Amino acid sequence: MFLQQLINALTIGSLYALTAMGATLIYGILGILDIANAGAYLVGAYLGWYIYYGTGSIVLAFLLSMLAVGLLGILLQRAVYSPILAKPHTLSIIPLVAAVGLFTMSSDAVRLICGPNSKAYNLKFPVETLRVGNVVILPAWLMIFALTAVLLVILWFILNKTKLGLAWRATAGDAEIARVCGVNTDTAMALSYILGYGFAAAAGIMTGILYNSITPALGEVPSYKMLAIIVLGGLGNPMGTVVAGLIIGIAEVFLSVYTAIPIPKDAIAFVVLIIMLLVKPDGIMSRKNKV
Amino acid sequence: MLEVKDLYVSYGMMEVLHGISVTVKPQELVSVIGPNGAGKTTLIKTIMGLVKPKSGQILYNGEDITHLPAHKRAGLGIGYVPEGRRVFGQLSVEENLRMGAYELKDKKRIAENIDKVYAIFPRLGERKDQLASTMSGGEQQMLAIGRALMLDPKMLLIDEVSMGLMPIMVNTCFEVIKNLNDNGITILVVEQNANKALKVADRGYVLETGNIIISDTAENMRKDDTVQKAYLGG
Repeated sequence: MFLQQLINALTIGSLYALTAMGATLIYGILGILDIANAGAYLVGAYLGWYIYYGTGSIVLAFLLSMLAVGLLGILLQRAVYSPILAKPHTLSIIPLVAAVGLFTMSSDAVRLICGPNSKAYNLKFPVETLRVGNVVILPAWLMIFALTAVLLVILWFILNKTKLGLAWRATAGDAEIARVCGVNTDTAMALSYILGYGFAAAAGIMTGILYNSITPALGEVPSYKMLAIIVLGGLGNPMGTVVAGLIIGIAEVFLSVYTAIPIPKDAIAFVVLIIMLLVKPDGIMSRKNKV
Repeated sequence: MLEVKDLYVSYGMMEVLHGISVTVKPQELVSVIGPNGAGKTTLIKTIMGLVKPKSGQILYNGEDITHLPAHKRAGLGIGYVPEGRRVFGQLSVEENLRMGAYELKDKKRIAENIDKVYAIFPRLGERKDQLASTMSGGEQQMLAIGRALMLDPKMLLIDEVSMGLMPIMVNTCFEVIKNLNDNGITILVVEQNANKALKVADRGYVLETGNIIISDTAENMRKDDTVQKAYLGG
C-alpha cells in the first residue's frame, strides 16, 4: 500500500515539476511570473490531441505539440513580454496582468474553437497493467515518469554542461554583466520560453493521458498551483522546482490517503507553501546572493 | 585609444553627465576621481553600452561605438571590472572565468587564459570549483578582475576597485592594476579613493556633479590645492 502510494505520488509530483518548470525558467531570466504557462499546458494538451487523432502517433503528438507551443512561447515573449519589460520603470504587476490576460484568452480560445465538452485521449498501451508483487503500475504512469525524467535530465544537461546553459545561468544571476561578457540576453530568454512552454505542452498531454480527459478548464488548477511550486523551489531555481514538485505530489497523495483532513486536495500545495514560508522563507533550495 | 566626446547622459528627466570629454591614450593609466554620485559609474557604464547616452560620441581605436549593443562590445577588447564586483554568485570560480571568455571559440586559448589568471591570482586556482558567492570580498574582486582578463583585453575599465575592501586588499588590487598597465594594458580607473588612484595613474580627471572640473597629469593633480583639500585630505 505504501509503495503503491509512493509510486502514485512520484508520478504526479514529476508531472507537477514539469508543469512548473516553464514558469521557473522564465522567472529566472525575466523576473516575471508567467501564468500564461498554464495556457501553454492547455493549448499543448489540445494540440497533442488533434495531432494524435490526425496521425495516430503519440510520439508525433508530443514532438509537434511541444515544438509548436515552444515557438508560440518565443512569439509571445517577443510580441508581449519584451516590449513591456523594455519600458523604463515597469511595475512587476504589469507583466503579471498581461500573463493572466493571455491565460484567460487561451482558455476561452480553446473553448470557442474546440468546444466546451471534454475529449478523451483513449491511448492504448500494449499491456493494461503491470504487477510487481502487490503493486499495480499503470503503463501511463510509467510513461509519464520516464518521459518527465528524460526531459528533466535534458534540461539539467543543457543548463549545466553546455555553453548556452552557462549563459542562461549567468544571465539569471546578473543579466547586465552577462551582456557585457557577450551574451545576447534575448537568446537566454528564447531558451527559457521554448523549453518552458514546450515542457508545459508535454505536461498537458501527459495529464490528458493520465486522466483520459481534457477540457478547456484544464489549465485552471495548474495556473495557481505552479505558483506554489515555483515559490517553494526558490523562485527561478530549476532543480529546486523538481524537488518542490515531488514534495507537493507526495504531500497531496499521502495526506489525502492517510489522513482525514477536511481540505480539498488542491489546497494542500498552499498549506505546504505557507508552512515552508514560515520555516524557510527563501524556499527549499534558495539561491544565495541573487542580485 | 578611447575617446569620449561631449557625452550627455540622463536617467529619465535627470541629467547626470553634462557633456564630458575623456581621452585615454594607448598604454596609459588614467584615473577619474570624484565624490559619490558624480557620475563616475554612469560614465563607465555608458562606455560599456549598458547606459544609452542622450548625445555625444564614444570612439574606440577611431571606431564609433556609441550605438553598438553591449553584447557586441565584448569582442572589441575592452574588459570591464564593475562596481561592487558583481561576480556570478551561483557559478563556480572557473565558470565565472569561462563567462569572461564567452566570446572565445578556441578551447585551448580559454584553458591558457584560465591558467594565466590563476598565475596572477593563485587563490582563485585553489578555489576553482567553489561557488563565487561563498568567497570573501577580496577574492571576489580578484575574480572580477580575472574575468575581465579572459579575453586578453587591450583596455580595462575598472569601477571602484577599492570599495568595501580591507586596506591590505586595496593595496594588492592597485598593485595588480599597476602591473597590468606595465604589461601594456591601457587602463581607465574610476575611484573614490583619490589617493591610491592618483598614485598609480599617469593622468587624472576630477568629475563633480556630472562635469569634468580638472584634467591634468596625476603628478600635478597630487600637488593641486583644490584636489588636495577636496580629495586627498590635505
